[in-house]
Amino acid sequence: MAIKGSKEGGLVMFPIKKYERMVKLSLKGDEEEAIEHLANRLLKSFEDIRSVDTSKTEALVRVLDVENHLREDEAHKTVDRENLLSMAPMDQDGYFQVPKTVD
Amino acid sequence: MTEEDTKVTFEENRNNRETTVALEDSIMVKGKAQTAASKILDGFIPPFSATVCDRLSRRGYKLIGAGFMDEFGILDLNIKDRPAPLGAIASVKNGSCDFALCNDLFGSYRREAAKESLFYIHPTYGTVSKYGLIPLASSMDQIGIVSGNLKKGFDLLSHIGGFDEKDGAMFPEESYNYKNNSGNITLGLSNSLIEMAHGDSKGAILDFAGKFNVINVDLKYFDLYNRVMYILTSAEISNNFSRYDGIRYGYRAKDYRDLDGLYTKTRSEGFGPQVKLAIIMGAAVLSKDYYSPFFEKAMKLRRLIKNNLDELFSGGMDLLILPTKISEDAYENLSLYSLPQLLGLPSVSFSYKGFGIQLVGRPKGEDSLLSAWEVAMA
Amino acid sequence: MTYEKVMGLEVHVELATKSKLFCSCSTQFGSEPNENLCPVCAAIPGVSAMANKRAIELGIMAGLLTDSEITRKISFDKKNYFYPDLPSGYQLTQFFSPICKNGKVLIDSPNGEKTIRLKQIHLEEDAGKLIHDDWTDTTLVDFNRASVPLIEIVTEPDFRSPEGVIAFLEKLRSLLSFADVSDCKMQEGSMRCDVNISVRKEGEKKLGTRTEIKNMNSLKAIAAAIDYESKRHIDVLSGGGGDLVQETRGWDDSLGQTFSMRGKEDAADYRLCPDPSIMPIVISDLWIESLRDKLPETAMEKYDRLTGDLGLSDYDSEILTRSKNLSIIFDKTLSFFNNPKEVANWVIVELLSIAKGDNKGEDDVEIDCEKFAKLIELVDNETINRNVGKKILALVLEENLDPEEYIKKNKLGMINDTKLIESVIGEVLAENPKALEEYRGGSKKVHGFFVGQIMKKLGGKANPQIINNLLKEAIEKGI
Repeated sequence: MAIKGSKEGGLVMFPIKKYERMVKLSLKGDEEEAIEHLANRLLKSFEDIRSVDTSKTEALVRVLDVENHLREDEAHKTVDRENLLSMAPMDQDGYFQVPKTVD
Repeated sequence: MTEEDTKVTFEENRNNRETTVALEDSIMVKGKAQTAASKILDGFIPPFSATVCDRLSRRGYKLIGAGFMDEFGILDLNIKDRPAPLGAIASVKNGSCDFALCNDLFGSYRREAAKESLFYIHPTYGTVSKYGLIPLASSMDQIGIVSGNLKKGFDLLSHIGGFDEKDGAMFPEESYNYKNNSGNITLGLSNSLIEMAHGDSKGAILDFAGKFNVINVDLKYFDLYNRVMYILTSAEISNNFSRYDGIRYGYRAKDYRDLDGLYTKTRSEGFGPQVKLAIIMGAAVLSKDYYSPFFEKAMKLRRLIKNNLDELFSGGMDLLILPTKISEDAYENLSLYSLPQLLGLPSVSFSYKGFGIQLVGRPKGEDSLLSAWEVAMA
Repeated sequence: MTYEKVMGLEVHVELATKSKLFCSCSTQFGSEPNENLCPVCAAIPGVSAMANKRAIELGIMAGLLTDSEITRKISFDKKNYFYPDLPSGYQLTQFFSPICKNGKVLIDSPNGEKTIRLKQIHLEEDAGKLIHDDWTDTTLVDFNRASVPLIEIVTEPDFRSPEGVIAFLEKLRSLLSFADVSDCKMQEGSMRCDVNISVRKEGEKKLGTRTEIKNMNSLKAIAAAIDYESKRHIDVLSGGGGDLVQETRGWDDSLGQTFSMRGKEDAADYRLCPDPSIMPIVISDLWIESLRDKLPETAMEKYDRLTGDLGLSDYDSEILTRSKNLSIIFDKTLSFFNNPKEVANWVIVELLSIAKGDNKGEDDVEIDCEKFAKLIELVDNETINRNVGKKILALVLEENLDPEEYIKKNKLGMINDTKLIESVIGEVLAENPKALEEYRGGSKKVHGFFVGQIMKKLGGKANPQIINNLLKEAIEKGI
């Protein structure tokens, strides 16, 4: 499976704008170029892992496999509402405030 | 975010003992502004302290800020050698504190501690509470210790480690005590890897190893450690950093036109380039196009790496010995520092005969790490 | 050309836990916005998600109630997207290990009893609430609901009619509310349903283009939306022009139409991945069996008990098992006064009609069952008459007063004194000669008038049976 993206001089380019939008970033000029360059380098290096035979291998998701770390269903307050609201960069009447959502 | 030492002194408790511990700006202290050296956390004031801070305060340690750190502690892939050491290292080196705590996800602290003739202790994953640590990759983060004396560093570790119900990923042991176990220690040494060690560190490593039983080991996937490491950490970082959006706390851009603008401007202005890179790469490896060939593959490769190390540990190796530098390139060196994160293993780094050396042990095998040093010094 | 509707459902149900799915914040309907918020559900860095044991148990119980296979090792996964009601920028859900699989629910549909197959049930966290503020033209966010535990129930496309969908949702509600898994109140948002719908020519095996409809806030709206959307599909397919693409559509109740929400969901890549910092949960046989043992009587079992052991009518039993709240009132009252028919009658006829006047229904009427039982007993043993009983019932509901005390204090005991009643009858008949003529002439209406007058003179407290008998006697005797 080839890496998706456009080819340029033999090097497959990373579709950086698509991923910028995905993570709500907007890169410009030199910074974008620099990051794109590093991204391409990293992706190329990632290709190396594909040659390892993992057909009979199960993924290792976490190293600490403590099971059933569960909490009893009890409600109690931890932090004051005022405390959390005071951290809000923009709030109104006890709500956090954002530009209009289109729904 | 600059390289100046910003000394923020907060006395949580007064005591006869004036042992001072510096905290990296990713370890939260209630009521004190915290940024992890990132603009995105401008104005963030934690409503609680990290468990490690509480534990230290209760024992009378004095806590201060450690100064300069990489933004969030994310590896700067462009860095060759720093002009000045990281704040946590510098403050121990210049004596403004006895110890420093930090989260050494990518090995920068292990490398620099050794370079400055200090010690770095990276504990077994799940033995020290991460509650109150601003996370990178929560399944691999671990608070570690910079110290001028290894034994004293382990003493400090026993004061901060142990089960904390507020951290969902911990071993159940209530406390840990570290001592020289005076057993026969067998070191595992990878000949091919030592060949890559920089400068004359090969000589120093062989000299150190010569004081122990040595077996030759094959780290089967060494060249791929850094790939697995970057794939898995960037994925977690990318997800963990989605919360930084200017809505509930921290930096919020001005002059945005709509909701999408709020998100994009805030995050683009708030994060530096290496953080942006990690976020983008993390999203990429989890995306439909790359999940199977990269992310899932990396998780499987992690299993193979674990199997390899398990075999070595059960085959007689107590500690793995590694150099601290094999390249001028940060990404290539990353492979040297990946095992403890990928497998939750403890590790120490130090300087020996002028060169950096790392030792990596079994889970909860810190005793052997301490013993090895003391044997070597005897 | 007849077309067949093919539908599948995604039902979100809020679990009846005291605290949220991953933190100890209360799930109670908060009065203040952002009242129930903590560093975990506000996505402040440095804290751990701690899974709620009861939420897991309710998930298992939902599986038991639907004959599902319970997954023995479950974990949580991140579904990534940016929206202001989602604090961490990802929703914790179960993509890789849903807690239940391959269940079923039996319903009565227009074509007889039908099995609706469930693809899966999984746990996930709810999002916060967004409110538009007209004044500032911004959106306000309340995170009280963020991270409240939900189960999502996904059915196979087994539905062929809106009636079947409604029957399923009612059955689901009955199963889950009787087991205290959730109160399943659509009007309060504790049960929400999205419908996936496609149409095809009858006899065709292949499925048509599918659309998803959301934002239906009542069973009525669901039925109306299905009708509208299926007609829209059929119109396009039978050459009426217009677009039929796979998309999400919202239901506008006021206009009675669906509208395209294209662009919102379709382009999203959720980058689903396991959450490595939440420890997996192993569900043992022992745990499952202990929950199975503790499952309360289902509505159906209760219905069988009422019609069987207690000999109540189908009609009455159906009413008493429609709502968990009412069924509890019935059982509890019965435990104090063991006369099923009387208790049933008082609950269904008297209690509900008085409650209706207070705008309360089966689900929210509240009464002290011991006092209620006492009242029923006092009427049954003729200490007071039924009308007095009804009046006192209203007072018990309103003020929670003690019936016996009230009766004593106000001397409301039933009058059985035949001599007294006879004399009052005499008075009333004498005072109303015209009416008496009419009654002798055969008017039954007048009988009621006389009884009313007699009762009035006796302060409403007389024994109606005695009045009737003596009145008849008096008329026959020709007084």
